[in-house]
Amino acid sequence: MSEPDRLRAVIVDDEPPALALLREYLAELEGVEVVAECGNGFAAVAAVSEHDPDLLLLDIQMPQLSGFEVLEALDREVATVFITAYDEHAVRAFEVHAVDYLLKPFGVERLGLAVSRSRTRIGRGPAVAPAVLTAAARPPGTPLARIVVREGAKVVVVPAADIDWVEAADDYVVLHVAGKAHRKQQTLAGLETQLDPRSFVRAHRSILLNVARVSAFEQYAKDSRVAVLADGTRLPVSRGGYARLRHLLG
Amino acid sequence: MHPILTRSGRMGPYLAAWLPLAGVMAVLIRLAAGSSWVEAATLAVPLAVVYAFICLAAWYPCKATPLRRATLGQVILTHALAGAISTVLWLFLAVTWASLLETYPPFVGVSERFPRLVLVLLITGLLLYTLAAVFHYLIIAFEDARHAETRELELRLLAREAELKALRAQVDPHFLFNTMNSIASLTTSDARAAREMCLTLAEFLRDSLRLGGRGSIPLADELALADKYLAIERVRFGSRLRIERHVDADSESCEVPPLILQPLVENAVSRGIATLIDGGELHIAAAHTGGRLTVVIENPFDPSTPSSPGAGLGLDNVRARIAATYNDDGRVTVSKEGSRFRVELDLPAEPTSRPGMPGPTGAGS
Repeated sequence: MSEPDRLRAVIVDDEPPALALLREYLAELEGVEVVAECGNGFAAVAAVSEHDPDLLLLDIQMPQLSGFEVLEALDREVATVFITAYDEHAVRAFEVHAVDYLLKPFGVERLGLAVSRSRTRIGRGPAVAPAVLTAAARPPGTPLARIVVREGAKVVVVPAADIDWVEAADDYVVLHVAGKAHRKQQTLAGLETQLDPRSFVRAHRSILLNVARVSAFEQYAKDSRVAVLADGTRLPVSRGGYARLRHLLG
Repeated sequence: MHPILTRSGRMGPYLAAWLPLAGVMAVLIRLAAGSSWVEAATLAVPLAVVYAFICLAAWYPCKATPLRRATLGQVILTHALAGAISTVLWLFLAVTWASLLETYPPFVGVSERFPRLVLVLLITGLLLYTLAAVFHYLIIAFEDARHAETRELELRLLAREAELKALRAQVDPHFLFNTMNSIASLTTSDARAAREMCLTLAEFLRDSLRLGGRGSIPLADELALADKYLAIERVRFGSRLRIERHVDADSESCEVPPLILQPLVENAVSRGIATLIDGGELHIAAAHTGGRLTVVIENPFDPSTPSSPGAGLGLDNVRARIAATYNDDGRVTVSKEGSRFRVELDLPAEPTSRPGMPGPTGAGS
């Protein structure tokens, strides 16, 4: 039934009239089939997993999970067109290699242009490192306030302040949050640069520590210490890490 | 803060004003006690300088019994007491000074002559104190007038700012662009609703300009403006935006500064309801009890969204305008508990002289 050059699209906007307009425009354009309509970011992440679309038309300003955060949580690459009333996000949108960036209100011709741009992009789009996406999900110069983590089909938003410590493992990190562990595809060094350096300190080569959770240090050999967290967790601290922690804790 | 002591450049002229008084005192001393000119001047000049300083203290009783608020009895009693204390203190210093001078040859006999001076000094002291009190009252009146002028200017500036803000809200790109997008969507699906939204938007813009230029408006007008804004946002957000209103009929006729609620309502929608996937209820309540007008705007919000309510400039402006309009008589209470944001305005209830709702707003103006 679907033609070979027919694009399968997921459309996402939290405002019903905006979603209706997208649907109507796409019906006018030849060769685009809307496979899912989503009213929020979480639904969008699930819809992309389920339908594996060619094209994602994504609003940026949405409750709880912004358009940028949706992109960060996706498990596959989709040609993405951002849609927003705010032109100040344009730079960030192209940093995450969005195919196009539409400003509300826009006409059907402009959407048609975005769709044809997507066609040329599909199949040879550059892979974007998750760290780039994470970096783009926050305004420049401000530390990351929350982290989007994917768990199967579910998306979890973890406030940075809730993280107890982060552990490096191969090419991903494990966020330890109140006894729960969340895996995320990112390097520890990458995450370290995004979090607030006044809160998170590299205590060890493979450990990033939230200083607010440290309750004590214990020496167990010359030049090697362990940090004891409020919940009783014991983590190794290197000599350099200890110096950094002491500096921060005063 | 003492107006002469705390400001530089005022002490000199003040003391200079006492020089002729010192001269008068010297003449009085010569007349009353038959002192030589040298003796009269040696007594009068230091006593005048000392009394100049003592009289500065008159500022405190003046400040304590402001003419506008204290009764005449309070004013007279306070100053009679302060005047008596000042004069007796001065007289005591005068006696001490005279007895010190006694030991120097040119002033021999001054102590004997002194009793003849007591009455003169007593009357002079009381008169000068009275003069000082009057002088300080004049300073207070002058500073009050200047304060009132500054406040008036500040108020006009803030009102102007609100007007400009209203103007800017009209061109607020996000509100306008999103609204236009909704209208574009409705043109094919529901042409009548699209037209309705165009008209509501036009009315909202026109009303915010018109009301922003006034000194104060009935609460009913302010709420009607909020209703127009919310009608537009309800098209955008659909069932996510729910509105609950509890407005007492007699609160609607109270006067409020124009566009005082509008920033709060916009804040509640854009930083509150819009941050929630399922939206929420926006509560607007107003009550008029015991001479006070209370207006409450309450909304849920997502605490994990970085731009939480209250961070905006709108709230600062509301606070500043309430402070400038009502002084200490108006309060803005902001509370953020869990996922609920609440702003309460507590204002003196000022019943309007005009009828609650003005005429039709559609045409002209």
